[in-house]
Amino acid sequence: MNFKLNMLVAGLALGFSASALAAEPIKIGVAGPFTGGSAPMGVSMRDGVKLAVADINAKGGVLGRQIQLIERDDEAKPERGVQIAQELINKEKVVATVGYINTGVALASQRFYQDAKIPVMNNVATGSIITKQFADQPDNYIFRNSANDQIQSQMIIKEAVDNRKFKKVAILADSTNYGQLGREDLEKVLTARGMKAVAVEKYNIKDVDMTAQLLKAKQAGADVVLTYGIGPELAQIANGMEKLGWKVPLIGSWTLSMANFIDNAGKNGNGTRMPQTFIQDPNTPKRKAFIDAYVKAYNPPQGRMPSPVSAAQGYDSIYLLAAAIKQAGSTDGPKVKAALENLSEKVDGVVTTYDKPYSKDNHEAINAQTTVFGEVKDGKVVLAK
Amino acid sequence: MEILLQLVFSGIALGMIYAVIAFGYQLTFATSGTLNFGQGESLMLGALVGLSLVGTIHGGPYMSYLLMIPLVIVFGALQGMLVEWIGVRPAIKIKSEFGWIMSTIALAIIFKNVAENIWGKDDLTFPSPLSSAPIDILGANVQPMQIAVVVGALAIMAAVEIFNRKSIYGKAVVATANDRDAAGLMGINTRAVITFSYALSSAVAAFAGVLVAPLTLTGATMGASLGLKAFAVAIIGGLTSGVGAIVGGLILGITETTAGYYISTGYKDVPGLVLLLLVLAVKPSGLFGKAAIKKV
Repeated sequence: MNFKLNMLVAGLALGFSASALAAEPIKIGVAGPFTGGSAPMGVSMRDGVKLAVADINAKGGVLGRQIQLIERDDEAKPERGVQIAQELINKEKVVATVGYINTGVALASQRFYQDAKIPVMNNVATGSIITKQFADQPDNYIFRNSANDQIQSQMIIKEAVDNRKFKKVAILADSTNYGQLGREDLEKVLTARGMKAVAVEKYNIKDVDMTAQLLKAKQAGADVVLTYGIGPELAQIANGMEKLGWKVPLIGSWTLSMANFIDNAGKNGNGTRMPQTFIQDPNTPKRKAFIDAYVKAYNPPQGRMPSPVSAAQGYDSIYLLAAAIKQAGSTDGPKVKAALENLSEKVDGVVTTYDKPYSKDNHEAINAQTTVFGEVKDGKVVLAK
Repeated sequence: MEILLQLVFSGIALGMIYAVIAFGYQLTFATSGTLNFGQGESLMLGALVGLSLVGTIHGGPYMSYLLMIPLVIVFGALQGMLVEWIGVRPAIKIKSEFGWIMSTIALAIIFKNVAENIWGKDDLTFPSPLSSAPIDILGANVQPMQIAVVVGALAIMAAVEIFNRKSIYGKAVVATANDRDAAGLMGINTRAVITFSYALSSAVAAFAGVLVAPLTLTGATMGASLGLKAFAVAIIGGLTSGVGAIVGGLILGITETTAGYYISTGYKDVPGLVLLLLVLAVKPSGLFGKAAIKKV
């Protein structure tokens, strides 16, 4: 009896390991906030990633192996991000991780990947410092394919000061890492032009009253409000302006395109502008295919993607990574990283076509040329004219 | 001057939101010596149930804002009874000093998770029954809904107070609040009174929910920070006084907005919390509270 049982167990174990050897999937981590105020970005990113993986797997995968996603919700909390990073590296043994929506979570978590020599593809988080966190080390495993805050803050100030001739700018930023690093970038660009914001104010996530902040900006004579924050509180700003009967244009970081800003601000959000790498506008066949596939797979309300930018960047991040793994011929972290820094194949993404996107010193795939201005118009983001 | 007025008006509207929730804390504390730490979640559930009735999220709108209010109040009352029955009654029965703290917090977490599953995790817009265009009062802008919040909050608190003073059932509540054991000996069913006070406190919170929802965003996480601030208000004002809730709410609301403007928006929550610490140090029973003599 015992012998039989042992044989059975041994047989089963052998069977499992044999089948595992035959087509061991390539495990890729996906980390982002799938709940909370940042969820529209996290969920869209994850959905974009899933679409790309489904495409690649349908075509036979990479190196003859299927890609398997390990998804984890970091709840936009740095401490959760750290736990997840350790789990993905040590338990799941991922080959690479895509994700990070929140700059603070990225900064706390990616050191574990750096130590383990596993590449991270930041596909949404924009804090300028993210890819330079380990710039002093010989190898840097942190890559990005979103428009970082340096690019965005340059664009925002250019739009506000050069194009629309506003003279007195006020900055409203939330108290998270994201808001405060972005505010620093905005102030740096202003200082470089010999300007100074007339008011720089701060608010907390979940604040329901923005009267004090807005009054300060109004009293300082601001003729435009620049923002760095996420959807729900940005909507409170737009609605708070109506409450005060003070209407000046809002220009801010790309998060002003989040569905939870557009819905909650309603008509108060009209005319708001923000830099965008991707707008839900099927102006190329590739984009049309992507948008159609997204709408078909996830059926968002009114056919509107909750955060098109996140979905598109999520989609592209997988293609960049897959191209690198293919070129490296291996899933070994240092080799994949080396391949990313010297991609020979052009990667055709939905945001842009990536032609040698990365080099040893430059881990940013997106530049100002691939970023446009979007404008909120009747519940949608359209290309600003 | 106009600036100050604007800040004070915004502070009053914000403070009244805190006051209504704080009032709910007091109702249960008076009769049973226990608090519902899920008071913020009662507000959140009230707001979300209201949203399902008047909003478009579940195929609605099914009714007008005014018709929805009584239904939400009834829902709140039932929810409060559930909390009392599951979380508080067992603790009172075994004369546990602190069992109700964890059980009401546990229920709050459960309610939040249930709400996340039903209504999703995102913040939603609550359709405003009144125009959102501000009106000018003495040079400061006030939204009609902000006035509605203040009036509605005062009305519900007044209604509860009048009920307690005038009706025979209310007198039973007051008697229980004054001395539970003596009230029990006089033939008052104190257990029913405690259940009733929980129902009342959650109903008030649910009402507050639909009142503030058009101003704030509605979502499963809206209750936590409001509930916490209201708890601070209840401590500042005193856990045994209805007037204390109103005054405490106004103090905290106005301090928050004015400190945000005159000190720094980064520090706007600090003065209110310093005030809380001061009150605890100087007059631990709260500005309007009676010092309770604890019999051992």
